[in-house]
Amino acid sequence: MRATVRGLRRWLRYVAGVLILAGLVVAIAFPQAALNAIQLPLFAVFSTTRMVVAYLLSLVFAIAYGHTAATNKRAAVVLLPVLDVLQSIPILGFFPAALVFFVATFHGHPIGIELAVVFLIFTSMSWNMAFGVYESLTTIPQDLEAAAASFGLRGWLRFRHLAFPAAIPKLVYNSILSWTNGWFFLVASEIFTAGGTEFKRPGLGAFIAVAGRNGDAASIAIGIGVLAAVVLTLDIFLWRPLSAYSERFRMETVTGREIPRVPSPYERFRWLPRLPRLRQWTLARLQPVAARSHRMSLQFERAYSGHPKVIKEVRRIDLALFLIVFVLVVSTGLIGLAQMFLRPLPLSAALLPTAAFLSFSRLLLAYGIALAWTIPVAAFIGESERASRYLTPAFELFGSLPATALLPVIVGFALLVTASFGDAAQLAAVLIALFSMQWYLLFNLIAGVRSIPDDLKEAARSFGLRGRAYWRRLLLPAIAPSLLTGSITAWGAGWNALIVSEYTQYANRPFEVPGLGSLLNHAVFDPVPDSEMLLLTILTMIVVVLAMNKLLWRPLFRRASQRFRLEV
Amino acid sequence: MHALLEVKDVTKSYFENGKEFKVLDLVRFDLAERDFVCVVGPSGCGKSTLLRIIVGLDKPTSGAVLFEGEPIRADNPQVAMVFQSFALFPWLTVQQNVEIGLEAKGTPPEERHRIARKFIDAVGLTGFEDAFPRELSGGMKQRVGIARALAIEPLLLCMDEPFSSLDPLTAQNLRDEILQLWANPDLPPKAVLMVTHAIEEAVYLADRVIVLSSRPGRMIAELQIDLPRPRNRKEPEFYGWVDEIYSLIV
Repeated sequence: MRATVRGLRRWLRYVAGVLILAGLVVAIAFPQAALNAIQLPLFAVFSTTRMVVAYLLSLVFAIAYGHTAATNKRAAVVLLPVLDVLQSIPILGFFPAALVFFVATFHGHPIGIELAVVFLIFTSMSWNMAFGVYESLTTIPQDLEAAAASFGLRGWLRFRHLAFPAAIPKLVYNSILSWTNGWFFLVASEIFTAGGTEFKRPGLGAFIAVAGRNGDAASIAIGIGVLAAVVLTLDIFLWRPLSAYSERFRMETVTGREIPRVPSPYERFRWLPRLPRLRQWTLARLQPVAARSHRMSLQFERAYSGHPKVIKEVRRIDLALFLIVFVLVVSTGLIGLAQMFLRPLPLSAALLPTAAFLSFSRLLLAYGIALAWTIPVAAFIGESERASRYLTPAFELFGSLPATALLPVIVGFALLVTASFGDAAQLAAVLIALFSMQWYLLFNLIAGVRSIPDDLKEAARSFGLRGRAYWRRLLLPAIAPSLLTGSITAWGAGWNALIVSEYTQYANRPFEVPGLGSLLNHAVFDPVPDSEMLLLTILTMIVVVLAMNKLLWRPLFRRASQRFRLEV
Repeated sequence: MHALLEVKDVTKSYFENGKEFKVLDLVRFDLAERDFVCVVGPSGCGKSTLLRIIVGLDKPTSGAVLFEGEPIRADNPQVAMVFQSFALFPWLTVQQNVEIGLEAKGTPPEERHRIARKFIDAVGLTGFEDAFPRELSGGMKQRVGIARALAIEPLLLCMDEPFSSLDPLTAQNLRDEILQLWANPDLPPKAVLMVTHAIEEAVYLADRVIVLSSRPGRMIAELQIDLPRPRNRKEPEFYGWVDEIYSLIV
């Protein structure tokens, strides 16, 4: 762990050096672009703030939702399927609807757009985190639950000492995933045109998008460089230490195995000024408050558990309220749908099946390309310590850049290598899908190769398994579960990327290919928005995605995890 | 005057696809102060289920468990539990793990700290207060488990196969230490109820052994082990008891 961090620091230093050099060259060669870039640090702060706000909201939501689903059986009956659907549908499709809502609510005030952006990022972050919390809470060892119960941990104390710590490893892991997702949508949502009006909030995403639209290569490069720097800095100083720290909260199944002590994030920030006086002062102020709140929570617990009838009553009212809201929401949705289908469908609805097929084929092509290069590379990286040391940080750097930010670069590249405009658009659409999908596959596969026990590899070698036989008998079966996990996530990302991959603007020209994504774009962003087509397209997408999940991935995953699980 | 613990005709069944699976059938016994009782039986006879019902973590299908004449509740601070898998909170230090029951009782921090120290010393873990469970060996983990149970100063200590996941040598050391703690009248608990599948262990530790049959668990016998302590495993009387219980189960 520490070695990778050190390797990464070195990597970061190279990157910083290259960036500074590139910055200087750009500043001299393109003074205009350099002038634009002066605001970039401020833009970076704006964008990061949006991310942080959305993340905090997601965190609260995930804990509340996951905890309720895990502890309240009756609520879980509803909460789990809802989460399952929300998790597997392409969120970007909802953005326009959310946007219209927020902008209308705040009468076009910028705060409405900000809220819409934060809402979009929130929806891209929270589902997997909520699932992570739910999974952790339902897999707490039975004895530990029993210990907590028999030593009288209830309510707040139980949450603090059992539920929350138990959820930390999966919560941190999913937070990192969510954060990457968040950048993808942040960049896509800071600027857009709807109903002939342009909405734009200052930020890195808007900067890169504007640069791309103008075909200003220097600004594109600077923007992506700054974004990469922000993403990397947060990764190195926030997520990596947190992820190392979360190891402490992992349940151990093997007894007597030594796990090295990991420094807490606090220890990592040793280079920050300590300000001992200020710390003492704050601690002295906080301690009585903490003690009092602890005593109060205990009193509350006691009072609360002393009246089982009241608890039952409160729970019943709670459930009733929840059901009422749920029924209201669902029935409004259903009535809306019914109304829509009772009217004659719009003419353009006939386009939907072809569009779905085209989009699917494009994703399939991108998925094939991703598979073709990630499996051998993952096998190579996973088996060689040296390759891993040098290649992993490089891939992590590229992987952490949201595909939406690379949009202008990809389209520019497509224009360079193809003859016609239409071909360039097709190539760009596939490439953007590829860039959204491939990293999930790669990182899952590397983890899969790494998790093959050394004993098994040595046994294979000692029985003379080599070349094709080694792949067929050991490597491919062993990575099957990670391959499926990676594929599911990758396809999810691919569907999400449709709306940006099938319609982009570069150098003041639209690049468009027929598909569900471009239909969505037209339904929302045309001068006359078509809400019926919007709804129909989203519905088509949901149906296709859910069908794939239920009919393809789930059964495959169940089989793979039964047959190919490595039990150590 | 009530007995400390009364187990009254406890029956437990699980229902699966409308079929009834009986795990425990009319188990009935009492526990008085200064009783050290072991429940033995073949694996799958519902011993652990019985213990979970006795400490209130599970409800019996019929019958009742009374503690000092009242129906048992899971969070009763007079009853403490030691687990086969130790069930320590991996994210809390030894000190914090031992304090957990006291914290739930609302004991003030200074006193909590003092009591926890006392029992960490009593199980011989002085100097490991700030270690995390994963840094300890199996035997040390179970010591933390025992200290945590004793720290709430319970009247009844319940142990579910506490030595089964330890190597034989460590297990034997820990058994002797449990007996030493038990011999000290200044330390809690007032009574011990232990569940085990190791017959020899039961004869070594207990004043009384309750023998359960295989599924559904029914009481076959209740034997008073009147061997003087310390007991010697090599003596014929010791082996006589072991053989008798063995023949009852098979």
